[in-house]
Amino acid sequence: MQDIENEIRNLVAEIIEKDPSEIKPDSRFVEDLGVDSMMALEILAGIEKKYKIAIPEEKLAEFKTLSSIVDIAKTYLSKNA
Amino acid sequence: MIFKDKVAIVTGGTRGIGKAIVLMLVREGAKVVFTYSKSAQEAEKLIEETGKLGAQTIGLQIDVRDFDKAKELIERAKTAFGGLDILVNNAGITRDKALMMMTREEWLEVIDTNLNGLFNVTRNAIVTFLKQKSGNIVNITSVSGIIGLARQTNYAASKAGIIGFTRSLAREVAAYGIRVNAVAPGFIETDMLAGLKNEFKAKMIEHIPLSRLGEVWDVSRAVKFLLSDAAGYITGQVLVVDGGLAIK
Repeated sequence: MQDIENEIRNLVAEIIEKDPSEIKPDSRFVEDLGVDSMMALEILAGIEKKYKIAIPEEKLAEFKTLSSIVDIAKTYLSKNA
Repeated sequence: MIFKDKVAIVTGGTRGIGKAIVLMLVREGAKVVFTYSKSAQEAEKLIEETGKLGAQTIGLQIDVRDFDKAKELIERAKTAFGGLDILVNNAGITRDKALMMMTREEWLEVIDTNLNGLFNVTRNAIVTFLKQKSGNIVNITSVSGIIGLARQTNYAASKAGIIGFTRSLAREVAAYGIRVNAVAPGFIETDMLAGLKNEFKAKMIEHIPLSRLGEVWDVSRAVKFLLSDAAGYITGQVLVVDGGLAIK
């Protein structure tokens, strides 16, 4: 499961153009990392594509930190399994 | 067939300009889902007509004023045809009256259908377009929203609103490969004009430099252009199809 966190960290880093080391599990996306709504959507789409899962658009509001995203991804991964 | 296998949604698709747009899209190879509010018979006829052209077309009775129904519409198109490429926001109504006689209901009804309805459908489609980094939107506005027309304060306000919406969204989503444009028809021979007296129509024609009322095909051809690759470098624009009526 640690792998998922690292994979998603790298994916987020690429989209928001930051070094993965800057993205701590609890760094706040908007306040600390400057993530905007379009970036959040790209992250969602990126995760959907990578893990072949569907995450409802409504979940975007819960994309607040890396750890919150990892939790959401895990939830939908287990639903698909 | 320039829209071969593209999936398109057209709101208000059974009559007038909307019907012409549905038929244009079908002839160009698109799979179309159209909506209608009341005209169930016309919807059936249209499905039959497109069927003869060898197309699968879906007609849904949906009130665009209902946000959740608009969401269903997008889902239906995606599940039935496997995606979404084109959205034509055409559904619109008029409740013409001098402002001093206009009721609050007549004001709200027009704004709710023409402007809020367009928000409802586009809001539910935009995430799909953003995710796939492609999409094409054409909104049907009106010369009324550009030059203003007496007895149409409600309609003109809704149509001017659509122009502002079009320009803002075009800027917002351009980086995602999505183009957003509008077509502004002038006086087109449709049911919307059917109630007008012939003398009034003749008077209108006097104000049109090209000296005739428009046909629905004049409008659907403009929509076709904006949706096509020929318009690949055009976004946020309002293409006026009015025989010159609103020339500035």
